[in-house]
Amino acid sequence: MTEIRSQSMATMAIAASALKAQQGRMRVIAENIANANSTARTAGGDPYRRQVPVFKPTQVAGGEGVSMAKVDPDRSDFRTEYDPGNPAADAKGYVKLPNVDTLVEALDMKEAQRAYEANMNVIETSRAMESRTLDILRK
Amino acid sequence: MGPDDIPLFAMLKSRMGYLSQRQKVIAQNVANADTPEYQPRDLKAYSFKATLDQQSEGQPYRGGVVSPTATNGVQMMATSAAHMAPAKTISPWRSPEQADSETTLDGNSVTLEDQMLKMTDARMNYDAAVGFYQKSMALLKTSTRRPGG
Repeated sequence: MTEIRSQSMATMAIAASALKAQQGRMRVIAENIANANSTARTAGGDPYRRQVPVFKPTQVAGGEGVSMAKVDPDRSDFRTEYDPGNPAADAKGYVKLPNVDTLVEALDMKEAQRAYEANMNVIETSRAMESRTLDILRK
Repeated sequence: MGPDDIPLFAMLKSRMGYLSQRQKVIAQNVANADTPEYQPRDLKAYSFKATLDQQSEGQPYRGGVVSPTATNGVQMMATSAAHMAPAKTISPWRSPEQADSETTLDGNSVTLEDQMLKMTDARMNYDAAVGFYQKSMALLKTSTRRPGG
């Protein structure tokens, strides 16, 4: 890790790490929504399990940024539906459906978007401050 | 002799340093807005003492009046081997944990709205300091100009 002397460069590196983390979170949400109806391939098997991203503070150049530490499976129960004709149905005719709630995913997506915008705001403010500083040279 | 030797410029420079450091701390908070159990931080209010602490490197104090805003600052004189110098900290300004108005179920206390407000505050104060710096510089230029030039 290179040492960054400029405070504003450190600020940008921190915000950039957050943009990356939120981007990763969006990827996980997309995965969940895409697989909201993915049932098992075998009869009576487990369907797609919802994935949850976990963030942790991470040292980036010049400060404490953030990164996606891991993606944990959501351990809540699967939904079941009576559908004897389905190839994934068990002996009693029930099909296990993923524990993905598209409403929850949509809310999560909104939150990721909000956090992303906030970090873009930080970069923009930092940039404006830096250019104000450079203005001292010009006049 | 540069602008830093003039107390006013040294003070403004220190103020700008404080504000960009604050901006960095806010960036850390915003970056960790979704990190479980994260407690936001904020710098202690800009004070005379913090400014003095920052400038503790320099000539030892040998009596007489010392200008605290001079760039070389003051340092305690060690007259015995047992005298200890204050430990040098990485940042002259302390950043204690300071919870925002809300704490979510996962223990995160960063409120984006509060942080955005703080960031705007830092930016406006920074702009003011830069403006002051430029005006003072212009004044300095005026005073060094040849009469009628």
